Amino acid sequence: MSPADVGPDRARRPESGEPRPLRLPAFRPVQAPGGLNARLAARDELPEVSLRLVLEAGAAAEPSGAAGLAELTGRLLTEGAGSRDAVAMARWLDRLGAGFEVSVSYDVAVLSTHLLSDVLDEAVEFLAAVTRDARFDGEEFERLRSERLDEISRELDEPAIVADHALISAIYADGLYGRPIRGTDASIRRVDDEMVRDFHSRRYAPDGALLLACGDVSVHTLTESLGRHFGGWTGSCEREPAPSVPASPATRAAMILIDRPGSPQSELRVGTVGVPHGTEDHYAIIVANAILGGLFNSRINMNLREDKGWTYGARSFFRFRRGAGPFVTKTAVETAATGPALEETLAEIARMREEPPGEEELLLAKHALTLSLPLQFETPAQVTSRVSRQLIFDLPADYWEAYRGRIDAITPEEVRDVCRRYLSEDRLVLLAVTDADAVEAEVERFGEVERRDSPSGP
Amino acid sequence: MANIDPNGAPVGFPFEDHRLDNGMRVILHQDRSTPIVAVHVMYHVGSKDERAGLTGFAHLFEHLLFQGSEHVPREGHFKHIQDAGGTLNGSTWFDRTNYYETLPSNELDLALWLESDRMGFFRAGITQEKLDNQREVVKNERRQSYENRPYGLAFETVLESAYPERHPYRHPTIGYMPDLEEASLEDVHGFFDRHYGPNNAVLVLAGDIEPAAALGRVEHWFADIPPRPVPDRVSVPSALDRGERRATIDDQVQVPRVYLMFHSPPFDDPGFEAADVLTFLLGDGKSSRLHNALVYEQQVAAEVHAFTWPTEKVGMFFVVATARPGVTAEALETAARDVIRDLRSGSIRAEEMEGALNRARRSLVGQLNAVGGRADAFAHAVTLRDDPGYVNSVFGRYASLTGEAVTGLADEILRSDRLTAVHVVPRAGTDQVADGS
Repeated sequence: MSPADVGPDRARRPESGEPRPLRLPAFRPVQAPGGLNARLAARDELPEVSLRLVLEAGAAAEPSGAAGLAELTGRLLTEGAGSRDAVAMARWLDRLGAGFEVSVSYDVAVLSTHLLSDVLDEAVEFLAAVTRDARFDGEEFERLRSERLDEISRELDEPAIVADHALISAIYADGLYGRPIRGTDASIRRVDDEMVRDFHSRRYAPDGALLLACGDVSVHTLTESLGRHFGGWTGSCEREPAPSVPASPATRAAMILIDRPGSPQSELRVGTVGVPHGTEDHYAIIVANAILGGLFNSRINMNLREDKGWTYGARSFFRFRRGAGPFVTKTAVETAATGPALEETLAEIARMREEPPGEEELLLAKHALTLSLPLQFETPAQVTSRVSRQLIFDLPADYWEAYRGRIDAITPEEVRDVCRRYLSEDRLVLLAVTDADAVEAEVERFGEVERRDSPSGP
Repeated sequence: MANIDPNGAPVGFPFEDHRLDNGMRVILHQDRSTPIVAVHVMYHVGSKDERAGLTGFAHLFEHLLFQGSEHVPREGHFKHIQDAGGTLNGSTWFDRTNYYETLPSNELDLALWLESDRMGFFRAGITQEKLDNQREVVKNERRQSYENRPYGLAFETVLESAYPERHPYRHPTIGYMPDLEEASLEDVHGFFDRHYGPNNAVLVLAGDIEPAAALGRVEHWFADIPPRPVPDRVSVPSALDRGERRATIDDQVQVPRVYLMFHSPPFDDPGFEAADVLTFLLGDGKSSRLHNALVYEQQVAAEVHAFTWPTEKVGMFFVVATARPGVTAEALETAARDVIRDLRSGSIRAEEMEGALNRARRSLVGQLNAVGGRADAFAHAVTLRDDPGYVNSVFGRYASLTGEAVTGLADEILRSDRLTAVHVVPRAGTDQVADGS
């Protein structure tokens, strides 16, 4: 202890030190075949690399009636490519020890690889093989399709997933965002291996795709590797236009009740049509959601959990996509609290519309959003993920540099105004997966109730 | 800078190991690549230290430590950390309870103020009202994460079957509903006094710090918290003499799931790394033994996983397989045990072993690439192994494993007299789905 140290002053929050500036990763272009837009942010703290290949092969590109085709195509990439069958591909990847994952969203398909830098060249070779030369053998197709149908059926056992799917379907009906990415039982049965091959040949193309790399690799090494394994890859792929979505939820019911007899809890959702990425309201919406339900200290969590003790947690989010993704609040409460919990959630949303947030609450939200930036750019996988979103959604090149200033500029009135614009009471759909007999009388106060039987129960 | 030799040699994350006069262990790890710091406090107490009839108490107590202390108002902890741009949480396990935040490095004092206040000045902050509120939150956590989730009660059934009455590992960390009702303010104070002294804790700082200056700040905030007597460690009898145990429960599910648990080496045992590599060999990746046989070849399982828990006193090695429609739990268990039998009696191909080690190594780097994960690893290494250097030496220990060592370990632990098998089957009346083909 230094002589000047007279012991800690515990009565107040300690002063903040001088912040050390965050240097955002600088991506440099890397030469790549076929018009592939490749970029690298080199860093060598650890011998690891994150590669993220973004393709215009999301669910938005599916032909009508073939929901789940994009996701199934992504899953099949590793089940045989070039001269290797599914078993040989699995052995190859597992010998490298690299993590490989395909994630398909409504907008794009993302092939992400996490690897140790000593296997970089072979990992790029693997990535090129699955991207270019996937075989889609009929037998493997049938196997994965059958697995997929089982999964869709097993999801009916999970009340949280049943609630999520029922909500988007109530909001968007048959539109793109109304169906789950992985498809439905009926749509998956309609998909065949020829459709997969066709989808792959049209959508997996270098021109229009994006490859982001971050980690312990040089521009020179990555350029050589890409040239060696992606050389000769050609083709181009246009973006699908953003889907048009309804201005308000499609359903006419105010309250959807899905019966799951004997449930100890109710899975509750409140939702509506939100906004696309990058509208003029973008930053005000982010701040508004942080106040309403984006943080632990947000209003609905403080109310339903810390004040009432009805739940383990409650939160809300806007899903920003190329089109207007949903706004959702999400919680699971003890069954007896179903009616009151919905009422409190609606009351919190109403308060957001009625009055601007107080100064302290607004500052907390802004700080949580902006001072946390260093934590969001720590690992290579975080870096490629954040920067890929910037490119997928055509955000400005200085999006992250300017983020803090834009968030800080939001006024209390702007927060209230976006809530008035997007969260008016008549646009909100309520949904519960629960013991319907136990709560039906409780929820009639919210308007017209549509009751459905349990999707899997007796 | 922190580098891991690609060959797995034990070089890596530099650290300093200190102990304050009050007995608190302090680990300091500098990595200045991002201006953030992870602050992690781990107390050597968990659900195995709970007294009979108060299961779930260690975890309920963890919730209460976020409810304010003498100088920090209720909700202040979350509020201050979020206002600084940080993230925070806590968790409870059989053997330890931890509290951690990662935040911009210029806010190190904030985290130390908050952690020292709840370590030294908790008593004045707790009230009956807070206890009752968090009791309800925890009951809802149990409903959400266990009771209202398919297969959610399987793990507690495994524990109840594997261990005898009163065994410290027999009950789940979340606890049982009637016991949660029992917890009183008196229990809260007693538990705090027994287990939350500085001499029963390790504090890890990982990230953008200057070690000498950081140690000064740690002394500043923690040195005046007096040590307290630490109770004797609870004694944990082996359950190896119980032989094979079995249980079947039903649930609101459409297909059966099989849980096979084998008594295995705990975290500080020399066999732990071999058991961990065995999980990669058996269940990680599509070429792994169980995945290839059950999911790909025979198509009897929708998914299969193998993992081992890094517990302190008794180890648990799990194989968990979910059936395809039309496959019984019995058939699925037989198929999994055939794979296990082949592994025990056969050998491992060189390429297979190389892959398992590569996956284990990459997975380790993935756990350690953020300062939060590194702080967690140091805290576990100190608390459960008394060896912070394990965070670095673990790479060499994996690299030196041979295929024979792994099959030898498999032969030793994957035996029916070490097995607890739990089948979760569809409840009568739940619709069975037709075969999808």
